[in-house]
Amino acid sequence: MKVNNFRSLKLLDFFQPIFRALNIDYPLMRKMVAMKLLMDQRRVPSILSQNMGKPKKAGNQFLKSLFIYVFYGLALVPFLFLGENYMFQISIMFGIMMFILMTTMISDFSSVLLDVRDKTILHTKPVSSRTISAAKLVHITIYLATITGAFILIPSAVMIAVQGIAYFLLFLAEVMLLILFILALTALTYIFILRFFSGEKLKDIINYVQIALSLGIVIGYQIVARVFDVVDLTFTYEFSWWHAFIPPMWFGAPFEMLFNQQYTSVIIIFSLLAVAAPVLSIYVYYRLMPSFERNLQKLLEEETKNKRKKRLLSTFWEKLVCRSREERFFYRFSTLMLSRERDLKLKVYPTLGLAVIFPFVFLFNQLSFGTYEELVQGQSYLNIYWSNIIIGIVVYMLQFSNSYKGAWIFETTDMDDKSLFYSAALKGFLMTYYLPIFLTLSIIFTIVFSSRIIPDLLVVFLSTVLHTLIAYKVVNDGRIPFSKPFESVQQGGSSMKTFLLMIVAGIFAGIHYAITQLDFGVYVYLALLLIMTPLLWKIVFKEKATMKV
Amino acid sequence: MLSLQNLMMSFAGKQVLKGIDLDVYQGQIIGYIGPNGAGKSTTLKIMLGLIEGYNGTVELFGQNIRTDGHTYKRRIGYVPENAEIYDNLTACEYLTFLGELYGLEQAVAERKAEELMTAFGMEDVFHSRISSFSKGMKQKTLIISSLLHDPDLIFLDEPLNGLDANSVMVIKDVLDKLAAKGKTIFYSSHIMDVVEKISNRIVLLVDGKIAADGSFEELKAESKQGSLEGIFKGLTGFEAHAHTADNVVRIVMDGDEGE
Repeated sequence: MKVNNFRSLKLLDFFQPIFRALNIDYPLMRKMVAMKLLMDQRRVPSILSQNMGKPKKAGNQFLKSLFIYVFYGLALVPFLFLGENYMFQISIMFGIMMFILMTTMISDFSSVLLDVRDKTILHTKPVSSRTISAAKLVHITIYLATITGAFILIPSAVMIAVQGIAYFLLFLAEVMLLILFILALTALTYIFILRFFSGEKLKDIINYVQIALSLGIVIGYQIVARVFDVVDLTFTYEFSWWHAFIPPMWFGAPFEMLFNQQYTSVIIIFSLLAVAAPVLSIYVYYRLMPSFERNLQKLLEEETKNKRKKRLLSTFWEKLVCRSREERFFYRFSTLMLSRERDLKLKVYPTLGLAVIFPFVFLFNQLSFGTYEELVQGQSYLNIYWSNIIIGIVVYMLQFSNSYKGAWIFETTDMDDKSLFYSAALKGFLMTYYLPIFLTLSIIFTIVFSSRIIPDLLVVFLSTVLHTLIAYKVVNDGRIPFSKPFESVQQGGSSMKTFLLMIVAGIFAGIHYAITQLDFGVYVYLALLLIMTPLLWKIVFKEKATMKV
Repeated sequence: MLSLQNLMMSFAGKQVLKGIDLDVYQGQIIGYIGPNGAGKSTTLKIMLGLIEGYNGTVELFGQNIRTDGHTYKRRIGYVPENAEIYDNLTACEYLTFLGELYGLEQAVAERKAEELMTAFGMEDVFHSRISSFSKGMKQKTLIISSLLHDPDLIFLDEPLNGLDANSVMVIKDVLDKLAAKGKTIFYSSHIMDVVEKISNRIVLLVDGKIAADGSFEELKAESKQGSLEGIFKGLTGFEAHAHTADNVVRIVMDGDEGE
């Protein structure tokens, strides 16, 4: 067996004494991690992929998503040229990194952290639960470290050239601390929730926490940027007591101390925090690990509820949105899947949270360049398009489900027009996920910008529908929704396609902006979209009666 | 060997086990039966340390599982009910991995796994992924995985799911012979006629309590009804199955009135 040949495991052997000191059965843990890595490599499961036509090379998908992280890493480079303003440049860089890593952690690795399927297989064996948790933790860390490695690849090269090797080494050490910190922080949050809630409710709460976390990170990032007085371009740093609660600031302090010889008490305290907080949080996590695993059992408990929910309102929407009877029942099925399937929500909700928050983030950014009156008079409401950058990812996710094996029912039905399935699933997405967000945003934006923007909002909505259609064409053309297991989602989430689909949101916003420059342009554009959108929808879903399966 | 004293368990306010007292001795094959939801799987999961928060005492091999750590699991083999398995591993990889978790050397585990696979006539799929296996093959792989480390106590939760008649006979004989060699087998099922054939002691669980305990003959004498299924029906009050069947057929035939 070539199981033991993973390079990351060789590196892991280096840390062996630490694990042994923590009372962890290292050889067993190593075996479990090796198994997990092996299974990750074979992510495309055979049952459905046999009918899938072209088998994909599974290993490459993760590499491909790594490339995206390398690309994201470019965002750090400009800050390296800010000279010796270490407090500022490092805090910003760590702020960005925390944001990227934390969102990845929440959306892609929560399922690993909260995995209960291992229970029957691993916990019935003579292995301590501490060792099993450690294996889980190491498994996630390997991925997180790989992603971080990709992310800091380019910045590191630039860093060595611009700031020197000592700077780079300190940076690297701090990045490792950051990874530990993020891991422990996420896990501790879950531990906290798991302790106080139980059963079904817990799973819902986890969804909300994910949204809250991802929102918190975005807002936190804004705060970091605002701590510094950017206006006069000197990036002066004035200490306030609450800065101690912004983790990225801690990481700036050691640089200030070592390279600028600043030994003020604030800098020293922050430096200590940068080291102590990650170590301490991992230690606390280690202490709580057994109870965490025990509480995970709660996720397995099923509550038997037999209440039938009223569906009067949704029946109305059904009739409004779908023409044919077949499409209607599949729409009903899709909305149920979208609102009940936990793993799907686990992956999608944090993204949806971003869709709510992004328009405001950019709105506030503009506020710092002008007055409120100017803002309200202008075209800033177009910031609402920011919420559309999530469409590609969510549409991509529609093809997955935990109960993907149930998809055989679509094969065995006597419906010839299988494209209806996807049409209905897309409508389901728009109605259950997108519309609530859009309505909320619209109401707030209408209050801010007055009712003059209502035609514009209609345009936004129609472009969203069109965008969704484009996303479908690009990402999963012709596949049956909910028919693939989550294991075949690339770890790391996004691919080049979903990234390009973010740009589509920008294109729509650009067109919209250009149109507003013309008199009555909006109305003409609105009329055009009103005709185009249903027509294109029909064309896309009519042209192929048979599906690529 | 195995001793439960006043074992109680409740989930979210609902009491699933209402005080179970049971002593099992070496070499016994216990058929643990009861209707769905009676608490069979819960009992097994508690003994395997999967569920905590129970009341009462559980002792395996004289060790209290709550206080004496996880080492007792080394002497247990377990076939889970819903065929949980890492199915994108090959049988070879999976079985070797589990053997190693039980403390076997890798080479030993692999050799033993291959021999057992061969004994079950599955040598040609030893290096195939489990996801390509049929339900019966998967079940046999699970059974092999529970026996690799020569356990003294074997927990089987519906072990014959998906097996063909021939394999059922093989497994039955294997269990008989293992019991004769001093292994203890704890077998949970709701399929009556299998339990009747395999077990030498039957424990009937109804609604979280032990409703009957004894050999098939004893139970038969007690209820004066022919097959174990009869006993089962008598003890659980489930006598209406002919009526249920009629009812189902009636509803099916009316089905075309629906939407």
